[in-house]
Amino acid sequence: MLLAAEFNADVLTPLVSGAIQGSLYGLLGLGLVLLYKGNRIFNFAQGEFGTVAALLTYAFVVGSGGLPELPYLVAVLIGLVGGTLMALLTERVVARPLFHQPKVTTVVATAGVALLAISIELLFIGANPLTARPAIEGNLISSGSLQVTYQQVLIVLALAVLALASALFFKKTQTGLAILAVSQEPTATSLVGISVNRVSALTWGMAGFLGAAAGILLAPTTLFAPGFMTGAALIPAFTAAVFGGITSLPGAFLGGVVIGIVEQFGNKWVPTTFIPGGNRILVFLTLLIILVVKPSGLLGKEA
Amino acid sequence: MTATAETAVAAPPAGHAKGGPSLAGWLVRGVLLLPLVYFFLSVIPGSADLTERGTEWVVFALVGISLNIIIGYTGQLSLGHQGFVGVGAFAAAYSLTVHQVPFALSIILAIVVGGLFAMLIGFAALRITGLYLSLITLVFGITLEQSLFQQPDLTNGGAGQPAYKPDALIEPSRYYFFCLAILVVIVFIDWRLTSTKAGRALFALRENERVAAAFGINVTAYKLLAFVMSGAIAGLAGALFAFKSEQVTGEDYDFFLALTFVLMVVVGGLNSRFGVLVGAFLFSRIGLDYAIERFHWIHELLVEGFLFVPGFGEERIQFAPRLIGAFLLLLTLLQFPGGIAQQLRPFTRWFAGGPFSFKHDVDGGPGTVEGSSVRA
Repeated sequence: MLLAAEFNADVLTPLVSGAIQGSLYGLLGLGLVLLYKGNRIFNFAQGEFGTVAALLTYAFVVGSGGLPELPYLVAVLIGLVGGTLMALLTERVVARPLFHQPKVTTVVATAGVALLAISIELLFIGANPLTARPAIEGNLISSGSLQVTYQQVLIVLALAVLALASALFFKKTQTGLAILAVSQEPTATSLVGISVNRVSALTWGMAGFLGAAAGILLAPTTLFAPGFMTGAALIPAFTAAVFGGITSLPGAFLGGVVIGIVEQFGNKWVPTTFIPGGNRILVFLTLLIILVVKPSGLLGKEA
Repeated sequence: MTATAETAVAAPPAGHAKGGPSLAGWLVRGVLLLPLVYFFLSVIPGSADLTERGTEWVVFALVGISLNIIIGYTGQLSLGHQGFVGVGAFAAAYSLTVHQVPFALSIILAIVVGGLFAMLIGFAALRITGLYLSLITLVFGITLEQSLFQQPDLTNGGAGQPAYKPDALIEPSRYYFFCLAILVVIVFIDWRLTSTKAGRALFALRENERVAAAFGINVTAYKLLAFVMSGAIAGLAGALFAFKSEQVTGEDYDFFLALTFVLMVVVGGLNSRFGVLVGAFLFSRIGLDYAIERFHWIHELLVEGFLFVPGFGEERIQFAPRLIGAFLLLLTLLQFPGGIAQQLRPFTRWFAGGPFSFKHDVDGGPGTVEGSSVRA
């Protein structure tokens, strides 16, 4: 009996909570993979699409600053639209003019967008953390060290549905194929009658939607303050996406779960008296190893 | 002292046109530079507040030069430079306070440790380039901040490792001059790096690694050299920063600082020493921050501009420099890829003895900024 309890605390709890936390990284990673597939860039603003969406949702749920108090679902919809619009704006104002520049320039620019978004958020709500209401209250499992809330179940479900949907989108639809074509050979693609600009807008819009969904889902489960998505989730999400293969949507899912579990075990096994931040160290080593051994990631391939 | 400041200001090497200016021409240039010299050598050390901010500028400028070696010369993007700076700061503070090594040795240790950590990333850079390398540097910096920089022995149990200046430099203005002198030396070294064989090899590598290798350039050695030099200068900057604030805490070296460093180099102007110095000035606390605090009308203007925000308090003005910085970065990338340096190029070229012209390609040479030269 005692053995079972230890097993629960040492292995099962980190596994489950790591997988749940990792689902979130995967959800954010989906948007990163999508933009890499479509534009061959790393999007550092992906996290802020989520923060902005979560803040909009929060503002309309609470009715802060003279805004009307709306039902939760409506507020979530506004948040999703807000995040998507922000992504579209980023595409039009930043990514499209830089399309023919070296990719690293665009990457620095997306970091600039993230920074701009964070400073605007700070000017609007200050640096103090807020408390966001979860979509569903309560716990599914609550035994000893193992806690699983309904919100976390929702996160895993949302990730599974969205990952499957976007993978099918690329496999089965003409539009998905067009996005891949643009990323590989923009000039030839436009010659066969596909609008590069429209495809680019579509890619960013979808990425914005995915980021917004991730932000709204994550906000109730963590410290919710300006820039929280960039601070807490973006870097593991990148690692997850690269680990799973930056071109593979199921890979982002898989990578997210693996990175989440690695983090939990890092926290558990590396003693903080020796060196703190074991989760970060293990994630860094994982990233380094995968990039040196198999740079295309677990499930990645060209295109 | 006048001469040293001039080197710092007119740093881009003069690709002399035929003849160059006459003695009188040089004299006019020197006289016109006097206000700048006066500002850096007299106004800044004259006020305690400005001295503190000025010292921070020098540290930022050093980091900028170090970062420019990686972004500008090798064409790779480092998003973890705060890690190298922090490593230097901790190395200096820890060796001085805990192990009682002399001041000079603690600074040398910071340089060595910074170089060694950068060498690790350099080894990764031999295999991995472009976006993937920037991701590695990013995760590297954050890992350092949250693991090594929180280590109880290093951080004095989390309270922060003290790093006291030696008695000779305890006067803040003296410490400012000390840092300024080091900056001049580093600017000189950086100038020699770009105008000798090593620099030309690095530029060749940036353009095309295989072609460079075919011309007999040792790819491994020069790439590692660039990273080690960059890390060593960053470590030096970290040590100077540690002795400036006399307290080193891990939280100071967060991802936001790394972004600020990239921001100042890109906005100032990649591949331009002068641009990096200007960018560092703008983004250290002597630039935007000081302007908002010092000039009341800017402050008022900002407060009034944000009054439409519900529940806006004046204390949130502290976030305004970030907003302006991010905006400047986007503006630079989208409209003025050469940064501030390119905008000021007609003037800097003239001060360096060249002709005065608004055309961009009057002097050519390796110092010329050609678009934003970051390559994937």
